[in-house]
Amino acid sequence: MTAEAPPAVAVDKSQDSAPRTGVRAWLSRHPLAAYAIRRFGLYLVELWGALTIAFFFFRLMPGDPVQTLIQTLQQNYVYNAQASTELIARYRHEFGLDGNLLTQYLVYMQKLILHGDLGPSLINYPTPAQTVILRSLPWTIGLLGISAVMAWIFGVIIGAIAGWRRGKLGSAIATNLSIALSHVPYFFVALILVYVFAYSMGLLPARSAYDSNINPGISFAFIGSVLKYGLLPGLSIVIIGTFSWILSTRMLMIPILGEDYLVYAEAKGLKNSRILTRYALRNCYLPQITAFGISLGFIFNGNVLVEQLFNYPGLGTTLVTAIQQLDFNTILGVTDIAIFSVLTAVLLLDLLLPLLDPRVKYWK
Amino acid sequence: MNNVPGNVLEVKGLEVVYSTNRGDVKAVRGIDLDVRRGEILGIAGESGSGKSTLAVALLRLLKAPGKVNGGSVMFHPAGRSPVDLLKVQGEELRVLRWSALSYLPQGSMSSLNPVMRVEEQFKDVILEHAPARKDSLGELIPRLLGQVGLEPRVGRMYPHELSGGMKQRVLMAIAVALEPDLVIADEPTTALDVTIQRVILQSLADLRTDFGVTLMVISHDMGVHAQLADRVAVMYEGRLVEVGDVRQVFKDPRDPYTRQLIESIPKLGRRAS
Repeated sequence: MTAEAPPAVAVDKSQDSAPRTGVRAWLSRHPLAAYAIRRFGLYLVELWGALTIAFFFFRLMPGDPVQTLIQTLQQNYVYNAQASTELIARYRHEFGLDGNLLTQYLVYMQKLILHGDLGPSLINYPTPAQTVILRSLPWTIGLLGISAVMAWIFGVIIGAIAGWRRGKLGSAIATNLSIALSHVPYFFVALILVYVFAYSMGLLPARSAYDSNINPGISFAFIGSVLKYGLLPGLSIVIIGTFSWILSTRMLMIPILGEDYLVYAEAKGLKNSRILTRYALRNCYLPQITAFGISLGFIFNGNVLVEQLFNYPGLGTTLVTAIQQLDFNTILGVTDIAIFSVLTAVLLLDLLLPLLDPRVKYWK
Repeated sequence: MNNVPGNVLEVKGLEVVYSTNRGDVKAVRGIDLDVRRGEILGIAGESGSGKSTLAVALLRLLKAPGKVNGGSVMFHPAGRSPVDLLKVQGEELRVLRWSALSYLPQGSMSSLNPVMRVEEQFKDVILEHAPARKDSLGELIPRLLGQVGLEPRVGRMYPHELSGGMKQRVLMAIAVALEPDLVIADEPTTALDVTIQRVILQSLADLRTDFGVTLMVISHDMGVHAQLADRVAVMYEGRLVEVGDVRQVFKDPRDPYTRQLIESIPKLGRRAS
């Protein structure tokens, strides 16, 4: 066995003894691809595990959705005991509640994976749950997603400057304000905003997502209305989110300022703005990227109150209604969406981190 | 005595203190020192003698609670008007840095930015002070790296991929990138093993020959001064106890402390008692 390094390969000791052909050789020559494949495999396992746990967890909930539906129907139609037995059986089948738990699980997963079908929604029967969810998803992503991104950007920038200029008046104000306000709940700020801007001054609307007199569609009037209606709920999230990002960024920033390479950068006579961005922030913002990925999960469950308060037709409102009505498939569907988004975000960030920081290397 | 043409730096009565709750601790107590153009001046002394404080004060990198209490440091960069290093502020100071006054830290410290490629760390300082050299960077950086015995491919590497000796050489190459008037080297060989130390010392001596820089080398290691320096200044408890030609100081030390320092150099073939 002579160990010649393959000519096209750059630098890696581990390749010397690896076979020259086949999948393994290709993987050993492309460590990043090998890592990406392994990480994606892990992602699939995580996804499967989380969806499975969610499924069984929700089946443990007491109450029978079909009975609830029948009760609703009873209120509207004349009760027919004979027909109802058949009806119950049919509904059970349609809601995926017939057979034992394992059969139910297999049917559910099959429908979900093959057809993206979450089963019919109870409150909007016979509309499928995915349609109900997709109807509210854009509102949530639009309002909460954009607000979360804005809060992150503002928070990291202000926090970095606050850390950089620590001891100065402006920094002290930003820091203390953040300490005081970052743990105030969103809805509390929302209430104050509503009181000031909607109730007292009457400047901005405080309910719904757009003016119901305007037809939804791609028009300036509609988009303008959406922005106007989204301003207060968005603002409440951005304000509080920004404060907590300021605090954490500042905390990451301060230990960096004592590093030798910052003294060196100063000795080099670089401009302050360059030292701040390329030397200080560049070395400490990675945890914030990861934290942002994780915080995306809260978009789907943490801001129910904001949506409720503003009667915003987003996922949070849908979830609350679904829980009240014991709408199994919708509750589970919203949970599945949250699981999927968080795991996907973390996957993307994991694949992105080695590109952002050369010291991050998962592969050998 | 004022403004002798051959001096790059004239330190007069420099005093540096560190403020504490229990009053000021004097680290540098009135130092007078001239650095001649083109020489290698060694600053010797034990830990706590104030030699590093002297270096940071001269580089204007002194941070609170340290503060300069008095004195003047006249700096004579070639082709510019002389300035008092202790008085320049802001933009004037920033422009002076690196192109006239540069710094060679200890390589084992993390002075290189861990997330920037080596060549980027050359680039930013060169472009900051000599933007006209933008087009020649592709040729300049490999040449500087070659000067300290490194291959051009080191430029594409990150600091964590370099050994301690390689980092020290990269720092040396960056220090002379803009042909400064004065390089202040703080413990340039500390924390390197002895064989690498020798190579680094040789490279430092070569840099003087090739670039004509003036070097101020701070080291606790008398061996370094014996090999490298033209003149040596010995510090003890914040004061200069002796300044002189390196041969004279080693052969015939005037101060008893200098004698002790020289005697403390370990010699081969002699058992410690």
